Amino acid sequence: MITKSQPTVFVVDDDEAVRGSLKLLLKSLGLPVMTFPSAPEFLAAYRPEQAGCLILDIRMPGMSGLELQQQLNVRGAVIPVVFISGHGDIPMAVEAMQHGAFDFLQKPFRDQDLIDRVQKAMERDAVSRDQLRELGHIRERLNSLTAREREVLGLMTLGKQNKVMAGELGVSQRTVEIHRARVMEKMEARSLAQLVRMMIELEHQGD
Amino acid sequence: MSDRPAPEAFELQALLDAAVDAVVLINHRGIIEVFNHSATRLFGYGSDEVLGRNVKILMTASDSERHDSHLENHVRTGIPHIIGTAREVQARRKDGSLFPAFLSVGRISGCDPPRFVGFLQDLTLQKHALAAVQRESDRAAQYLEAAQTMLVALDLTHRVTLINRKGCEVLGCEEKTLLGANWFDRVVPSDQRRKVAIEMDALAERTPDRPHYSEYSVTATSGELRLIAWRCVALHDDTGAVTGILCSGDDVTDSRRAEKEATETRERMMHVSRLATMGEMASGISHELNQPLTAIANYAHACVRLLASPDADLIDVREALTQISGQALRAGEIIRRLRALVRKQSTQHEQADLNELIKELDALARADARSSDVRIILNLGADLPHVSLDRIQIQQVLLNLLRNSIDALESIPCGHREVTICTATDGAGDVIVEIADTGTGIAVDILPHLFTPFATNKALGTGLGLAISRTIVEAHRGRLEYRANKPRGAVFIVTLPSEQGISG
Repeated sequence: MITKSQPTVFVVDDDEAVRGSLKLLLKSLGLPVMTFPSAPEFLAAYRPEQAGCLILDIRMPGMSGLELQQQLNVRGAVIPVVFISGHGDIPMAVEAMQHGAFDFLQKPFRDQDLIDRVQKAMERDAVSRDQLRELGHIRERLNSLTAREREVLGLMTLGKQNKVMAGELGVSQRTVEIHRARVMEKMEARSLAQLVRMMIELEHQGD
Repeated sequence: MSDRPAPEAFELQALLDAAVDAVVLINHRGIIEVFNHSATRLFGYGSDEVLGRNVKILMTASDSERHDSHLENHVRTGIPHIIGTAREVQARRKDGSLFPAFLSVGRISGCDPPRFVGFLQDLTLQKHALAAVQRESDRAAQYLEAAQTMLVALDLTHRVTLINRKGCEVLGCEEKTLLGANWFDRVVPSDQRRKVAIEMDALAERTPDRPHYSEYSVTATSGELRLIAWRCVALHDDTGAVTGILCSGDDVTDSRRAEKEATETRERMMHVSRLATMGEMASGISHELNQPLTAIANYAHACVRLLASPDADLIDVREALTQISGQALRAGEIIRRLRALVRKQSTQHEQADLNELIKELDALARADARSSDVRIILNLGADLPHVSLDRIQIQQVLLNLLRNSIDALESIPCGHREVTICTATDGAGDVIVEIADTGTGIAVDILPHLFTPFATNKALGTGLGLAISRTIVEAHRGRLEYRANKPRGAVFIVTLPSEQGISG
């Protein structure tokens, strides 16, 4: 079981020499590294909340890199995958990109290319994890609203005026104003525009 | 002598009759006085028929004409004409027929006028025998001339004593220009001259009846070299002494050239087929090369970075450098094997351990198999006898069979794709290699054409693989066979004879 909480570079490659060399190279860059000789061994050890990125060999006996990528997708793991592949694997690399791979590198590669991609992948992972965390917060706040407040929120994001809302909800305009203030307060929104953006992001994540 | 009494007349008659030769005694006028038993048999006359008659009746017309004058001259002058010398004459029988005879005439001295005795030997049989010998000799000469083989006889100083028409034909010159010429100086190229002459001299000294086989070229008058396969025997005289050498030679220039071309064509085909197999494997092999290259690049980059930091861990650096050299060798080894297989070279047989051969092949095949997600299982028998083989060609066969198996596994789900290579010895001491897969097997309608060139069921196949493989295995005096695997798949069996198997 992986217990590290700091962002880690995971390497899955069946070739011992490639694995070992990547480990040392990443270590020399001061990055925490964990290596695995096969896809199933990685899957057994990895938890989706573990931050970092994954360097994955496309061609492996047993479960291939592509199959591992699909397994991760099914589990909702957001970890960015950098595929490494040989010359003959371009069609596989294209397929990997179509399935949401972060990038791919052709073997052998320059260290700077690897470093650039690993750094970008790590940044992307951090950003997406921040976003996820943020969205989690928004959802929590959303869940604290009452049914009536949710109705008001829905009408607010449609840009309805208080008078129109009062008419649609069959309440007084003053009541609408009170609900509205409670929504802004609970959602921690400083402006209507910020509230709308939060809702769009939630909706977007729901895709 | 004088003590002994003179022989009685009957004793003389008995002596005369016992003589093998015809004895005829005449007086100075040619009248026959004695005619012995052999004479009556030879001429067909009874002695009473000839006694008192002139000896001319026993001669041809031309001899009888001259006989009187010869006789008269001799009696008169005493100069011998035919006396004391022997000669061949024609004699006439009673029936008028003639026969060859050897005649010697002696003069009986101590009587006057002189008398003469003639001894005649029938040459008819000898003549026949001689004619037969002549005919044989003529026929031999004819054979010599008609032979499609060069025949050359040399004396002990290497001079040509005989050369037949074919010999002259190949050399493009006339018999008379060769007879008496030094054979080696005249026709053997200078670079081979010494070696061949030594061989010939050794032959002359060897025990007889052992022909010596050799091949050397001769230079025709046109300057063209012709390769001749020679069979040489020593020639002996009656006493058994060596008098020379007789060589028969076949011009093998054209057949050797054809053989060489056929071999080259076959080797070219094998090479093309190997290249085709290599082409099919290229993706897997390039992947296999990329692995060590990637590792080397990574380790080197790591070293650079480690050394750039002030508190570098030198143990890490040393480990990286060790790995670099190891991986470079790994890449080199793959290239070496690849080169060996792709190289075009003529057949070279050597004693080899098939297990070693398969292990060597495994490195290349594994890359290919890996990319197709096929597992190769080696099940190599212990104590395999060595086999005389051409490494490249047998590796080509095994690689080809392995490729076929890998292709046959394409439609099988991942995780069930297996090829097993087994080696073993059979009861006869032959070495067996079995390549078995769990693929789709060979369809029944394809089986009869399985080893036929250009019959393929692979989309990208040349259809040459199995045909060439079988040719190669059979050239090794082995067999390539197929049987179905159980529960499914194909098994190809290569059987190669080992030294042990041959002797046992």
